[in-house]
Parts: sequence; C-alpha cells; structure tokens
Amino acid sequence: MITAGIDCGAKNVRAVILMDGRVAGKASVPAGMDAASGAEKAFDAALKEAGIARTDVSKIVSTGAGKNEPRFTNDVVTEVGADARGIHQLYPEVRTVIDVGAEEGRAIRLDARGKVVDFAINEKCAAGAGAFTEAMARALEVPLEELGALSLASTQAIPMNAQCTVFAESEVVSLVHRKTPKPDMARAIHDAIADRIASMARRVGIEEKVALIGGVSRNVGFVKSLRDELGIEIILHTDPEFVGAIGAAVVATDQ
Amino acid sequence: MAERYRTEPLKLWNKAKELRLKFYENYAKAHERGGIRWAGGAWTLDALPRGLGEDVWSLTSEPYSASIAFNKAMSLRCLEASERAGFARDLCSYMRNYWGGIILNEYAFPEFSKTWPEPDFIFQDHICCSHAKWYQVVKDLEGEIPMFCVDVATGPAIECENGDFRYIPIPGHAVEYVVGQCLDAIEWMEKVTGRRFQDELLRKAIFNHFRSTSTWASICELQRTVPAPLDEKSMYSLYVHGTLGKASQWCADFYEELLGEVKDRVARGIAAVPTERVRVMSDTQPPWAFLKVFRYLEEFGCVSVGSLYTFGLIGQWEIKADGSWGARTIPASVDAIPEGREAMLAEYVRYELNKPEWQHFYHPKLKSAMMVKIARDWKLDGVMLHYNRGCEGLTVGIAENRLELQKAGYPVMIFEGNMGDEREFDEPRTKARIDAFMETLGLKREFATP
Amino acid sequence: MIEKYKEWYEARHEYAVQWKKKTGGKVLGYFCTYVPEEILYAAGVLPVRILGSHEPQSVTEPHIFAMFCPFCRDCLAQGLLGRFHYLDGIMISQSCLHLRQAYTSWDLHIPTQFSYYLPMPHHVQSRHAVPFLRAELETFRKRVEDWTGTTIGDADLRRGIQIVDRNRELLRTAYETRKREDVPMSGLEAMYMVVSSQMVDKAEHTQVTEDVVRVLEGRSAGRSGTRRLMILGSENDDVAFVDMVESAGATIVQDDHCTGSRYFWDKVDANGGDPLTQIAERYVRRLPCPTKDWPARRRIERIVQFAKEWDVAGAIIIQQKFCDPHEIDIPAIRKALESAEVKVLFLELDVTVPVGQFKIRVEAFLEMFAGDDLF
Repeated sequence: MITAGIDCGAKNVRAVILMDGRVAGKASVPAGMDAASGAEKAFDAALKEAGIARTDVSKIVSTGAGKNEPRFTNDVVTEVGADARGIHQLYPEVRTVIDVGAEEGRAIRLDARGKVVDFAINEKCAAGAGAFTEAMARALEVPLEELGALSLASTQAIPMNAQCTVFAESEVVSLVHRKTPKPDMARAIHDAIADRIASMARRVGIEEKVALIGGVSRNVGFVKSLRDELGIEIILHTDPEFVGAIGAAVVATDQ
Repeated sequence: MAERYRTEPLKLWNKAKELRLKFYENYAKAHERGGIRWAGGAWTLDALPRGLGEDVWSLTSEPYSASIAFNKAMSLRCLEASERAGFARDLCSYMRNYWGGIILNEYAFPEFSKTWPEPDFIFQDHICCSHAKWYQVVKDLEGEIPMFCVDVATGPAIECENGDFRYIPIPGHAVEYVVGQCLDAIEWMEKVTGRRFQDELLRKAIFNHFRSTSTWASICELQRTVPAPLDEKSMYSLYVHGTLGKASQWCADFYEELLGEVKDRVARGIAAVPTERVRVMSDTQPPWAFLKVFRYLEEFGCVSVGSLYTFGLIGQWEIKADGSWGARTIPASVDAIPEGREAMLAEYVRYELNKPEWQHFYHPKLKSAMMVKIARDWKLDGVMLHYNRGCEGLTVGIAENRLELQKAGYPVMIFEGNMGDEREFDEPRTKARIDAFMETLGLKREFATP
Repeated sequence: MIEKYKEWYEARHEYAVQWKKKTGGKVLGYFCTYVPEEILYAAGVLPVRILGSHEPQSVTEPHIFAMFCPFCRDCLAQGLLGRFHYLDGIMISQSCLHLRQAYTSWDLHIPTQFSYYLPMPHHVQSRHAVPFLRAELETFRKRVEDWTGTTIGDADLRRGIQIVDRNRELLRTAYETRKREDVPMSGLEAMYMVVSSQMVDKAEHTQVTEDVVRVLEGRSAGRSGTRRLMILGSENDDVAFVDMVESAGATIVQDDHCTGSRYFWDKVDANGGDPLTQIAERYVRRLPCPTKDWPARRRIERIVQFAKEWDVAGAIIIQQKFCDPHEIDIPAIRKALESAEVKVLFLELDVTVPVGQFKIRVEAFLEMFAGDDLF
C-alpha cells in the first residue's frame, strides 16, 4: 500500500511517501505565504524521489498548522495525532514523545498501541523554543548552527529564569554585560529552554522510552541540557522534522 | 451523519433574558424610585440587605463584569483604563473590567443609564483574596462609599477519603464567626441607610435563597440524562440569575418554572445538542468573549453538560441516601425557618457554608472528589479545564484537579484563556487543541456547517 | 557573630538535621508567618519556614498553574526535590491562595506524619476574629498534642510565648538601631538575621542576637552617606538582589516583608490571662498581610510611619510576579509614599533576578536623588 503524509508547518511543508511502512520518498519546501502551493511542490518532489506518480498513491493525509489548506488531500490529522503515529511507527517502544519546533513545543504520552493518552502544548508564555534560540543566537552574535556545539564547551551552569521568555531575554543581556564566557551563556540558554520543555513534558508524565523530534532536536546543546534535566536517555531520529509527515502517512493506511 | 436526537429552543429563553435586563435596569433606576442600590459579589450574603426593604436593588460584581467582558469594545476600554490607573494586567480580569467602568463613568447597559450608577453602599463576602480587596479599590475610586465585608473562609464543609466525599457538620465557632459579622453588618446597614431593618423580610429572603440554590441544583441533576436537556453554553445564561439575585423571590420563582420545563424536556427526550455523542464538562468561568468554543465542540458531536462551576457556584447539594449527589433539602416553607434574627442567620450561614465552589479554597482534593463524582454520575467521556488567567480563586489547585481526574480514568484537555480579558485568549490555538483532544476521543468534525 | 545568621541561612537543612539528632524532637515546615509558632515551641517542635532556593526547576508544572507566583512554585519544588526530607510535619495558616497551593500539593505528593491547615480568619478587623481564631487554636493544640504525644498546658503555652516574644523583641531592637544615621548593620545583614530566625531554634537565635544587639550599640556598617531606602513586598529572601542594591550606593534600613518586619514586629505580651486568647489576639492584630488588610488599609499606615521614622529617601516595591494581594495595593502604596515625599521604584521579581537589568534601574533610581541634592 502506498500512502502520503503532508505536514504543512508554519515555516516548511514536508511530504513523505510511505510504501508498505517504509519511507520511499520525502521532500521539504519553504511554506511561503501559500501553504497549498507549498504542499503541491513538496508532494511532487517526494513522488519524484520515490519514483512514482500521484495515481499510485491510494490516500493522502495532511497535518500541521496549515493542514486544511491543500485541496488534494483525503483527510487530516492533528499534529498531536501525527507525532504519535509517526513515532510509534518508527520506535514502537516509545511512550513519550517531545516535539520542539520553531513556534510550538508539544509533549505526548502514548500507550503500547500508539494511542494518545495525554498531551500538552506549551502555553503562551513559554512558546517558541525554536524562535527563542534564534533570537538568542543573534544576541550572542553566533550562527544558530553553532550555538549547540558552543554550549557543550561550557564549564559552569548559570541559572537563568525559566518562567518567561521576556525575563529570560533580559537575563541574557545581564550575562552579556557581566562578560560571561559565550559557551556558558549558550548553555544557560539551553538549560532554560530545557527547563521549560521538561516542565511541559512532566505535565503529561514522563514514561520511558522518550523520543525527541522537531527541528530543535538537531541542537546538540539543547539535547544535552534536556537529557541532564530529565536524567534519562532520549531517542533522537535522524530526520526529526519528518516524523509528523510520516505519522500522517501512517494514518492514511488506516481503513 | 444524521442527528440522533430531537431538539427545540427553551421556552423560557426570552423570559431569562428579560429578567436579567430587568435586574440591571432596577439597579440603575433605583434612586428614581426612592430606593436603595448597593453593590457586592455574586457570593455575598445578599439576603441581608433585603431586610432593608422591598425597594433595595443590587449590582453583583462578577456577572456585571462578565457582561462587560462579553462586549469586547467596552471591555478593552475598561481594561486599558484600569491599566492607566496603575493596576497590573495579571490581576483578576473581572475587577479590572469593573474598575475600568467606574473610571470611565460608563454603565454596561447604556439603555438604563448613560453614566456609572454609584452604589449607596458595598456589602461583600470574602473567601478569595481579591474579594474584599476588589471593593477597597472601588471605595478609592468612588470616594469613600461605606463598605462592609464578611469573611466566610471558615474551613471546609466536606471531607474526602479515597476519592469519596461527605459533608461534615460546620463547627459552632465558624457559624458564630460568620453570624457575628452578619449581625454587625445589619447594624451597620441601618446606620448607613437610616432605615430600620425588618427581620421578617430577611426571613423571606433566606427562604428564597434556599429555594433558588436548591432548585438550581435540581435542574443540574437533570443534566445526567442522555441526551442532556441543556448544554453548558445555555446554562451560563440561566445560572446567571442565581448570581444576580439568589435571595430574591423572582429568582426562586424563575428557577422553579425552569425546573418544570427541563423536566418536560427530559420526559420528551429533547436534547440540547441533537448530535450528542460524547459528553464532557468544563471548569471555571469560560472566556466570555469566546463562548463560540462551545459551538465548535458541537461540530464534533461533543456536548459540555455542565461543570462544578455551573452546578456549584450557586447550587446547593447534599449526598442522598442512595449515595447520589443531589439538590439540598430545604425547609418546607418560610415558617419552618426559625424566628429571631440570630437564629435565622445561623440557619442561613450553616447552609451557605456548604457551597461546593467554596471547598476547593481549602484543598484541591475536595474539588477533585466532587468533579470525579460529576464525571461518573453525569456519564462523561472527558474533561476540558479552562486554565483561567483571569481568576485566581477558581483556578487555585486546578492542576491537581487535572491529575486526579486523569487518575480516575478521564481524558483531560486544558486550554489557557481569560474569562474577562480577551487579549489572553488565542482562538486558533485553542481550536487546534480541541481538534487534538477530539481526535483522542475518537471524534471527527462531522457536523461543521460548510 | 553577626556572620552566624548567614551561616544558618545557607546551611538551613544541615542545621535542622543536626537539631533533630541532638534533641530527638520533631521538625515542622510551615508556609506562612500566620502559623502560631508559640504553640509549636510549647510542644517542643521546631518550626522551620519553607522558602525557595532561587533556582530554576522543572518539577512543579504538573502541580501549579503558571499564573501563580514563582515563590509558591519554588517552595513546592524544594519538597518535590527532597530538600526537606527531614520534616515530620507541615502546616499552613490560611493566607493567600498562591502559597496555599504549595502546601496542598506538598500534602498530596510528599508523605509526612502531620499536615495541618489552620483556617486563620481574614477579617482581622472584625471583633469576631479573635474568638474564632481562639477556637481554631484550641483544635490545633489538641492535634499537636496527639501528634507529639505531649500535653500542652497553659504553662507550656506561656513558655512558648516567652521564647518567641523574646526573639521578636531583640529583632525589633536591632531594627531600631537602623534608625541611626550611621547605620550599624547593612540591609543584607538584617535580612539574614530575620530569615535565619525562621530557620533555627529561637532559643539559639536569641542567644546570638542578644550578643548582636549589644555589639550593634557601637558598630558602624561603614555606610554613612549612602542613600537610605526601604523595601516592601511579600516574601523576599533574595540576597543577591539586596546585595546588588546596597553595592550600588544605597542602604536598606527598613522593610515591609513577611521575611522581615511583618514577621516579628508585634509581640504577644502574655499577661497572665488565657494564653490561647492572647496568641489569637497577636495574630489578629499583627502587621497584616494584604490578604487580611481590609476594609481599612492598616499596612499602608505602618509603611508610611516606618518610612518617616527610619528616615528613608526612597522605597523599592518588590513585586513577586503574579502576587495579586500585593499587586492590588500597589497604586495605593505608591500614592501614600509619594505624598509622604518618598520616591518609589517598582520592580517585578521572578525566581531568579536579572541582576544586571535591575542594576541599571536601581542606579537610575539613585540618580534621581542626586538631582534633588543639586536643586
């Protein structure tokens, strides 16, 4: 059976072709202003990679903030549902999945069948972990890709306010004024986000094993901070941004 | 998918609306008729001022502020006026709307008064930290209006063990403390109004209070029926009368009439939501400017049948012999209420301290026990908790309620918002959350009107 | 010997563990200063205040909704992280809703032998508050007796009163010396002094404070010429913040905090009558928390009086983020202080303080006085 999953995120649209439970093609394009045309482009690129035509696909399911935009999909699934199904397909042993993207963080607890038991989405005040790291990288004048590695070189933990983004930003300014070494500042930033994400994850109850997905999971500094905060191992996926699209494609295999 | 049940509008709907408007008109025009007007919270012991005469009209702060919140344009003006006066944005949003109206000298019902109708005195209860403090500020803004507040935070009236709860007797010193304050309040009212207090009017008001609060609980009991005869969004328009004038004859009479109609709906299988498939409850005041959230639920075939908030803010309950939670038994007639000011006040206070919505102030486990009871007996499939940034008093302990409901086996969704400050409500994100929750309950948005 | 306070403050947990070992007694953690410590001392129980640690944490989110104050979350975190593992009991006296949640969640999730909620009346300006509280204290006394297996007679209560009152008296004497132009102790030292008194055995604290009070007679903190300030708000044991303010050229000479003057200012003054009534009177009459400060605002009168008597030039209002009871009084406090010609700086504090940012504001605040000196 061939199905497709389209994840229409706020920044990128990702498409996945699933062939008998295996990813046969995938593609990511910027969402732009028009999610529908982004979805078309991503879908076509994924089809091309899989070497098949649209007519070969028996069902297409979309997810993500813009999931209702594309006209060619057969059904929709929420981001929470897609994350859960995607991770269950890839790692059936996972019971808690944490998704940290640019604008939103989510934690989902699932049962042995991959069914959602509980979920939490970050509240307004703690929103935007991804956007926050970007802003902080600018404040430290470090390319975003290097922020993670930089924090691994830190030699001391500096507590930073974890409750509110605005307060955290003002604390970074204080650290800059105090001439704190950059690696320690980078770590302070990651620790603060890890605190917020761990707080949210604890709300659904951490049950092992735990997987981390979403773009921010590529940030090695953040991953280390989160591991330290939770005190457990965390499973990472090589394509952390595609788990939602995979999940949507899995949903499409449902009868 | 076809609708499962028959529905029809409430016959008393228009009457409910008229009574509410009449209340705001009576308050605004009280002086024109030589009457007295006073202000206080929806929980205040409002039988007391009724002893001053039949021409005494009140304005209850919470429902009045909710009315402002419902009017987005006025609400924004009011909130900003409070902020300009130096009050922080994270304070109770009812207070901020209310103060804003005073500062701007506006009444939320301009058809009855173009300007803010100042009360002659303030008579308030206190259990939430903000209750008396709210009116302390009102007093500042209005130039020393006389104010009396009664502390009712004397300790819990229920206890629970292993999730089951039972009522416990109110200790004598607690009754004496509240009655003592009431007696002082009466003397004070006589002084500030120059009127003689009439115990017989108080006795009548206490009886009306019993009728209103017990009858409202009877109406809520009927919500156990599948399909539910009322949905929570409609209940907001009906419980409000209890928050306006629970000790009034008109409120007690209206609730008795309403009980008749709801019973009739149950008998004929009339549903509030014809597509009812899944039943949930909410908690705390809703975001008043976004009641359409409840209509959105209906698109999934989900109906909110009530909440501890709608049932227990005004309703008075007891554990029945069969273990069910039902309307509190009240004296058969006004003559069954003891004569003598102190004795009737003691009966009134002993009854009122059992209010369900006062119990969580002491411990969230008490609220959890009542919520789990509702979830079981009202046949619910899930719970939607409004993490209400606008109200400390009703969200206190809410995170523990969530854990307890989950432990009892109910899926729980939370959504953040604010009852009275729409700037803190994110509609698309809330809907996205509802989508995910409905998905976990196995529902699709099948009843959306294109 | 004044350094002893800081030592106690920093090693509060080690102290309590040692105290238990030494005395074999029970330790009770309390959440609010409306807890009648006199009765606990009468029963030989050591009351220690549960305060936060000013560190970020991620364990309280499942228990307390984020719109409640950081202090209550910080307190609960201490319990969930096991830092108060030695406690035999916990209790709260009814005050604000925020802190109440730290208590109730602790009660739900951290097993302790003894847990008590004391319905402290709110209407402390009513003549009916004392009889009500007297009856509650009677119930409380019985519960403590059951828990500890002791009898708490009136003589024990008077002893409890005497222990706590003596400490109050000394703290007040120490505060009085801060009226001097050449202040004998810094605000930071005073903070350590009061906060540590909430953590260690009063008898021991009193012993040290007797000496401290004698030394203060001839001591100078070397802060002459700095700007005299007072700080006000709810709970405040933010030593980093006070240190920053004082190193910016100010000296804190008085406060209105429940980790400061509100805690100890008023005594019981037992005079041979019914000790429970006298204890009830003390808590009803004491410098109020804003949750209980109505219909009249008595706290503001006291703040203005302090400002005058301690001759402060300015006040820093320290708002614990989301603390409604304090927040609601701020416009009235500001007005009262400004009409008494006391300048006001408002700062909102979270669990940790953005010191650098606040330093800029404090320095700007202090510059305003320099302008006054010129003209």
